Amino acid sequence: MNVLSEYISFMLERQDQILSLTSQHIYLTFIAVFLAILFAVPLGIAITRFEKVAGIVVGIANAVQALPSLALLGFLIPIMGIGSKPSIVMIFLYSLLPIIKNTYTGLANVDSAILEAGKGMGMTNWQLMRMVQLPLALPVIMAGVRISAVTAVGLTTIAALIGAGGLGQLIYRGISMVNNKMIIAGAVPAMVLTLIVDYLLNILEKVVTPKGIKRK
Amino acid sequence: MKKHTALAILFAFMCLISFQGFAYGAPKTNGGTIVVGSKNYTEQMIVGNIVAELLEAHTNLKVERKLHLGGTNVCFEALKKGSVNNGIDIYVEYTGTGLVNILQMEAKTDPQEVYETVKKEFKDRWNLIWLEPWGFNNTYTLAVKEEFAKEYNIETFSDLAKLADKIVFGCTMEFAERPDGYPGFQKAYGFSFKEVKAMDPGLMYSAIDNDLVQVISSFATDGLLVAYNLKILRDDKNFFPPYHAAPLVNGEVLEKHPEIAEILNKLANSITDEDVQKLNYKVDGEGKDPAKVAREFLKERGLIR
Repeated sequence: MNVLSEYISFMLERQDQILSLTSQHIYLTFIAVFLAILFAVPLGIAITRFEKVAGIVVGIANAVQALPSLALLGFLIPIMGIGSKPSIVMIFLYSLLPIIKNTYTGLANVDSAILEAGKGMGMTNWQLMRMVQLPLALPVIMAGVRISAVTAVGLTTIAALIGAGGLGQLIYRGISMVNNKMIIAGAVPAMVLTLIVDYLLNILEKVVTPKGIKRK
Repeated sequence: MKKHTALAILFAFMCLISFQGFAYGAPKTNGGTIVVGSKNYTEQMIVGNIVAELLEAHTNLKVERKLHLGGTNVCFEALKKGSVNNGIDIYVEYTGTGLVNILQMEAKTDPQEVYETVKKEFKDRWNLIWLEPWGFNNTYTLAVKEEFAKEYNIETFSDLAKLADKIVFGCTMEFAERPDGYPGFQKAYGFSFKEVKAMDPGLMYSAIDNDLVQVISSFATDGLLVAYNLKILRDDKNFFPPYHAAPLVNGEVLEKHPEIAEILNKLANSITDEDVQKLNYKVDGEGKDPAKVAREFLKERGLIR
């Protein structure tokens, strides 16, 4: 009990710092994931039209994913310096793969019978995409966004190592000072944040699912 | 159509936030701001704060702290960029690290020679300026538990070499890779440990405390040596080069603000290894805030009010 109250009083003492780091954390994650959606969804759509480049695009996204995050930062610093910009770029790059892959898979897996029906009704390619394929693939795309966002919250902790702040600051400083209270003060809010993001996106995923394919 | 309008508004709103975010990441620096960096361990946090506090107290410059950056490479690359390009303007570096790690030159044992070499090379190659060293020598060393040292009668590195095949060595990832770290040192003493485990600096101490490793690489000025009751072994073949700490400044920034050199040189040759060990202990052992420890130290020395 004593230990727990010690932890709680430490967190209360640092309340302001924890809050401002949390908001920094949300900020970095949000911007990076949002930009990733803007970039990856159209790219995912485009590669369903050009099957030949699909393999290459997914391959590149895979390769980026396989690169260790600190190594990626090592490349980014000589170009962009330190701080929030290279951090956002790093999180952005790591967020691409799940979104591209899910967009591509979601669109490619739409039942061909439905597409035929659409074509039979005289729909153009664009109408088919906008009115049939995208709505049907939306739940799968959202699942990709959810994976990206949840991963990004964890990844953003690394931003602290290049001076961009965020909850990683408490975690890494706690580790180097062998101060468990400080580690917990960073790790618990990061964990809670992950759960909240996951929960909200789960709801959104259900909301965007078209009535016709909703599970009863 | 209402749904689409709502979506469009939401979208526009999110774009707005995002672009603001990029503006927030843009350099705010002009002539009047100095960005101070440091590496990611306690001593660096303290010396980084010392630099920042001194500049704040004695100049009109706005000082921004980017402390606890991920290691020598991050700090050095950021310093080369300068704060104008989203980097940093100053951090405290060690002469030995400059010589062996950054310049990739052969290790030397004479402190003055090492300092003169890095001073000249850094200026010529990158226009980075080494100010006066502050006095303490944060050299690498090996540490074991007091009881362990007594049990096996170990005083020096050579004593340890005899036992090496039975013990596990814990060190930082940086130490495992640097030429003046494990690879060179293994050659000099003919060590071959049973196993080498590379980990984060802060975790090494928990590891040795829990007997997961028997010997660790540490810094001579580490406060945790006191906190965990560890014994420093003597480098009887003088393998490790000297690591005297001195502020390293971006040359362009120093030209614009030459007063920085004068202010930071007030600490030249005035801090001993023991002083730093005590400062580090205040953070690592007593859990104090590095910024506070730095401020107290400067007040004690009468350098700030």
